[in-house]
Amino acid sequence: MCKANRLLVATGWLVLVGPRVLAADPGYVQAAEPYPQAIPAATDPTLTIDIHDLSSPGTLEPLLLRALRESTAPGFALAVPGGLARLGNYSLGSGESHQGDILVLNGNADLYGRLSGNLVAVEGNITVHPGAYVSGSLLAYGGEVHQAGGQVTGDIQTLDGAGGANTPAPAATSGSVLVQALRNVAGLAGIFITLLGIGFGLVLFGRPHLEIISDTIVHTFGRSFAVGVLAQVLVLPTFGVLVLGLVLSVVGILLVPFAVIASVLVALVAVLAGFLGVAHVLGERYTRRQLAQGRLGSPSSYRYVLTGLVGMILLWTGWAAFGWVPVLGWIAFGAAAVATWFLMTVGLGAALLSRFGLAGHFAGRLIPPEALTDEYLWATPQFGVPAARRPGQHKTPPPVR
Amino acid sequence: MTVHRRFHAIAGALTALALLAGTGEAQELKRYSATRQFHGEVRLNATIEFAAGTLDIGAGAPSSLYSMDLTYDASRFQPVNRWNAGQGAVTLGVAGLERGSMGVSGNRPAQVATVRFSPQADLNLSLAIGAAASRVDFGGLRLSSLALETGASDTEVRFSTRNAMRCTEASFRAGAASLTVLGLGNSLCDRVTFEGGVGSVVLDYAGVWAADMELQAKLAVGGLTLRLPRSLGVTITTERFLASFEPAGFTRQGNRYTSENNATAARHLDVTLTTSLGGVAIEWID
Repeated sequence: MCKANRLLVATGWLVLVGPRVLAADPGYVQAAEPYPQAIPAATDPTLTIDIHDLSSPGTLEPLLLRALRESTAPGFALAVPGGLARLGNYSLGSGESHQGDILVLNGNADLYGRLSGNLVAVEGNITVHPGAYVSGSLLAYGGEVHQAGGQVTGDIQTLDGAGGANTPAPAATSGSVLVQALRNVAGLAGIFITLLGIGFGLVLFGRPHLEIISDTIVHTFGRSFAVGVLAQVLVLPTFGVLVLGLVLSVVGILLVPFAVIASVLVALVAVLAGFLGVAHVLGERYTRRQLAQGRLGSPSSYRYVLTGLVGMILLWTGWAAFGWVPVLGWIAFGAAAVATWFLMTVGLGAALLSRFGLAGHFAGRLIPPEALTDEYLWATPQFGVPAARRPGQHKTPPPVR
Repeated sequence: MTVHRRFHAIAGALTALALLAGTGEAQELKRYSATRQFHGEVRLNATIEFAAGTLDIGAGAPSSLYSMDLTYDASRFQPVNRWNAGQGAVTLGVAGLERGSMGVSGNRPAQVATVRFSPQADLNLSLAIGAAASRVDFGGLRLSSLALETGASDTEVRFSTRNAMRCTEASFRAGAASLTVLGLGNSLCDRVTFEGGVGSVVLDYAGVWAADMELQAKLAVGGLTLRLPRSLGVTITTERFLASFEPAGFTRQGNRYTSENNATAARHLDVTLTTSLGGVAIEWID
């Protein structure tokens, strides 16, 4: 098996196994039902959970999971500001009252008395029995709340725990980052494959037009960019004027839907054709250099488009890999976006200047149309001393015999 | 590496990336529920924010002021449940996590929210719906006002039974949405306002009318269909109207259209239409 095939197999295994590994919860271990006890609130606790505000249980979730995971560790201490923490089943008797919040880990909570505060049960159920009165809210994380007749003035909430199926891995920061990076890469791959398909189709059915757009980019780069910018500025006003004109000419009202669809299609085709034209140019430059060094076999427009698109997608790899880093991610995104916009603008301008590649003679003001064959342009200097010395330009006197 | 091997490597990478593209969009569905017991509250100001999925709103048990059962995609969204005791206001729904992912998926999340309100408290309801399919039934509720804003959704609002109290205003703002409001005659709303973008909207005024009503509709380029009971006296005033408008059963005086039975009808609807390119159709219902 060659190295590339081994790489393919390894990548396939990674893809198939990776998500399952990531989906599993490496740190979640549900302990056996523990003996009911208070969790000490040491002066320097390892963990502090404030359950005074339960309006956003999603943000509380990682802390609750961490507390559950570490609750069986020796010397575990947990601080609940304005309240207490319990491990195992908990009950508030009918003659009892409690002032403050209560966090119950790995156990059920049965309320018969008065509770002035919030109650959170992690991996346990809450039952509000008849006669119970809670002036606060209840949250069962990984459990249920049974309203058996007691009164609760606040919210009664339940949230799926980590033990349930189809739930995300808790606090797996590195895993989440990897998953996000993989998603970004997958998104880029999807865009790349789509563009590649369109590009190959364009080469197959309209290669001369694509090459004319490419030549336009090469020979009138500045004008293409200027026209591209101008097109982006004018596209909306032009569209508005077109629709308004059709509406005002009464008969034209019927044409408005067609005009809208046609305008969108034209804009899309211009952007796509231009973008692929830029990819063609980039790929052609690179491929020609490789050919000159004898590293590649033969040139073709398919190879140009493929290589160019790879280069343009590579612009986004920095963002795909480091998009999760706060500042670096934004910089990578901004840089890639600006570069892509620049290339897209040049391509759009070239597509418009060359009338979508239909104006076969267009590629610049200074070059005669007959000089614009692809091979000729690459192989033959057009300007300066090398052009003047080119054989065949000037008749040389016959050798003296 | 030869050219042949290089192409193998490229093909392998593409295959792997394609596989990744298929696996990367898995949803992580979780369940969340929130409810608040009814303790004699007179009024509830409720706001529902629902970014994407399927939304179902209606009347619930009298013992509950409100409740929400939610299944949400935990990788992209988080539940919203904010209670303001001073104003008797609650905000429910789901909001995006905004992790900065590319969001190239075109899949609508499989998240579902079912929201129920007490039939005993006066309800001021504000709805902000994104890319969702939503069904709202105000039958059995005490609706005192409604503000609905929807983006690219498919929304059906229904007044299946007569509103238990007078509603001051119902306002609808729809972007590129498909919006159908049925039984507006049951709503007992003094005033209905509608602002439409490019979507398709149906306002159905069937129901048991208790008082005259007013409709102000502003359209961009969308289509609006008004379904009107034939027994209703209707006056339509058009402003900045560029599209053609020749409704059947109306007498025209300048930019004012009056239904033939307007003088004798027991109940009246006063419509003000402002549009440039939007299409307005009138359908009479018996």
